[in-house]
Amino acid sequence: MSSSVISVISRFLEEYNSSTSTKLKVVDAYLLYILLTGALQFLYCLLVGTFPFNSFLSGFISCVGSFILAVCLRIQINPQNKAEFLSTSPERAFADFLFAHTVLHLVAINFVG
Amino acid sequence: KSQHGSSGLVSLLVFVLALEAQALTPSHYLVASDVDRLQAVLSQPFTDLKSAYFSVVGLSKLGVSVADSNDACSFIKANVDSSSIEALFYAAEASQAISSCEIHVSNETRDSLHAAVSEDSTVSQIHQAVSALSSLGLPLASQEVVSALKARISKEDNVVAITLALQTASRLSQQAELGEILEEIEDLAARLDDLGGVYLQFEEGLEATALFVSAAYALSDHVDMEPPLKEDQVIQLVNSIFSKKSWDSLSEAFSVASAAAALSNNRFHKPVVVSAVGPATVSHSHPLLQLHVTDVLCQPLSSANVLVESATSVASKAAILSQTPFTLRDGIFELNFMASKPASGYYQFSVAVTGDSRLVANHVELKVKVSTKVAINNMDLSVVDKDQSIGTKTTRVEYPNKGKASFIADSHQNFAMTFQLVDETTGVELTPHQTFVRLHNQKTGQEVVFVAEPDSKNLYKFELDTAERKTEFDSISGTYALYLMVGDATLENPVLWNVADVVLKFPDEEAPSTVQSKNLYVPKPEIQHLFREPEKRPPTVLSNTFTALVLSPFLLLLILWFKLGANISNFSFSPSSVLFHVGHAAMLGLMYVYWTHLNMFQTLKYLAIIGSLTFLAGNRMLAQKAVKRYSLHHL
Repeated sequence: MSSSVISVISRFLEEYNSSTSTKLKVVDAYLLYILLTGALQFLYCLLVGTFPFNSFLSGFISCVGSFILAVCLRIQINPQNKAEFLSTSPERAFADFLFAHTVLHLVAINFVG
Repeated sequence: KSQHGSSGLVSLLVFVLALEAQALTPSHYLVASDVDRLQAVLSQPFTDLKSAYFSVVGLSKLGVSVADSNDACSFIKANVDSSSIEALFYAAEASQAISSCEIHVSNETRDSLHAAVSEDSTVSQIHQAVSALSSLGLPLASQEVVSALKARISKEDNVVAITLALQTASRLSQQAELGEILEEIEDLAARLDDLGGVYLQFEEGLEATALFVSAAYALSDHVDMEPPLKEDQVIQLVNSIFSKKSWDSLSEAFSVASAAAALSNNRFHKPVVVSAVGPATVSHSHPLLQLHVTDVLCQPLSSANVLVESATSVASKAAILSQTPFTLRDGIFELNFMASKPASGYYQFSVAVTGDSRLVANHVELKVKVSTKVAINNMDLSVVDKDQSIGTKTTRVEYPNKGKASFIADSHQNFAMTFQLVDETTGVELTPHQTFVRLHNQKTGQEVVFVAEPDSKNLYKFELDTAERKTEFDSISGTYALYLMVGDATLENPVLWNVADVVLKFPDEEAPSTVQSKNLYVPKPEIQHLFREPEKRPPTVLSNTFTALVLSPFLLLLILWFKLGANISNFSFSPSSVLFHVGHAAMLGLMYVYWTHLNMFQTLKYLAIIGSLTFLAGNRMLAQKAVKRYSLHHL
């Protein structure tokens, strides 16, 4: 049973490495970074407690928001999805990404206290 | 048909009886000092003709003549102004009230007075002219006056004007047609405001109400027709007019004097005021019940018969007296109630005043108290053993002596006391409201009070079980002075009697301490304000560890990017891209500065500036990149 899971995972990784462009891999690396940051914040909250709660929320929501925005960016710049995003060029996607991040950071910094 | 008639008669009878049972009696009336005060107000020295009129005529209504009549007469004559109707009115009325004071007027004056009686003058002017003519003994045409008044009443439909019209009509000839003006009394009475069933007055105030009363009775007497006022209404008017015992102005005092004179001396209604002399209490030393029975001017009704219809005891509802008359002595009606040997307590008297058909509110209910003196008999004190093995030793103490020996009671014994309370004169047993036994420890100042209760034979018993009651005494042994306290509203001699001394011995005694009297007014201990404690923080080491841990994925990101071969070799160094990166970095820096120093408004301001620059630069840069990509892909 476990061997089939391992073989599935290794197959998946092989496919991923071969079929994904570098640009997307860069974004994926960024996604992993955001994920880890958020997870570590959550772990701290579980272990030590929620004081100060607003700071925890700010940091955690910031990570979640960044993750979501990065996923949107990845979807929009993936050339395989070009058919669905005819009017949105990768540059436009990136500009949206930056603008949304500005708003997100503004709110997060306001809330972190 | 006859059956309907009889049932109607029965219900009418019941209704009348019900009314009679709840007849109103005056709750506000003038007493002798109030009448004196009214007289004093009206006796003030004159300032002008108007005040002279009020004083002179007011005093004459009270049945008193002015102090110096010659002086008053010359004052009036000196101050009269023949050209003013008002002045002539004051002078004429005032001189009428003073004996042998006559004012002479010229023919022109008389004509001007007649001319004032017309539809074009106000009711007040007509009233003054007619009164002046009447007081001066000059003839006047009553019918003209009546028609002028009727015309003016319809134009001036206020209370004061109609009252003056009534007053004017009372000076006219009896042959004139005064019927319509007489009806105005009923209309005006309907305008009176009933306040709580106690007062009846005009909203214009006391003066208007009092003047209405005097005018209504003046006119009713003049035409010899009973005014349409019910008995209860008359009493309510009495309450309103005589509720004020000091008067703001001379005119107000005059109006009250007028009303008082009208109510005490008219042909139809004479309100009666019945009040007890002092408190309504009788006892063996004061056996007479004395009543003031007067009219509203506080003059005794010497010709009236005052009768006790019934006197019943409040407690036992037994009738003591029935149809017993009072005797008149020096203007006071007296009855020797103690002659009927009533027991002490309260009695409800129903008093009727008869002898004059005009009397109003002549059935009065009074509550009379019969007081007595109490005597304490057979006061027996004893100390009883709880197991009753040793016989009781009873000591008798006579009031007001104190028992010679002290009584000793410890936890195995009970202290007992029995006595009887009787009426001193009749020997009847009494049960007063307050019979207390007080034990007072002279050393510690402590006192404990118990209630002594009577048994079925009205013998009072008090027992003190030393062991049972130790909590009340705080288990403090010692000598206690024993007092008996007897009191009641109907007792003339309340009793505080130090009967004996009792030595109490309690088991489990603590060290005797003087009882701290509870002092409520010393400063209390100060309360320190507790500021909100800051929350407990985790140790700094832990926080620092996790900070490092949370920042570590960034390193991982850089490593991954390096491994993937991400580079910045395509960086174009065009001004817009440089500006974009600088602007973007500035925005991130602004976020940090916002966290540390700024507030939202400042941040938004800076963000707007930097953001717009960055946007423009970024737009340019991305457009250039897009062009490059497009040209690359479409080559």
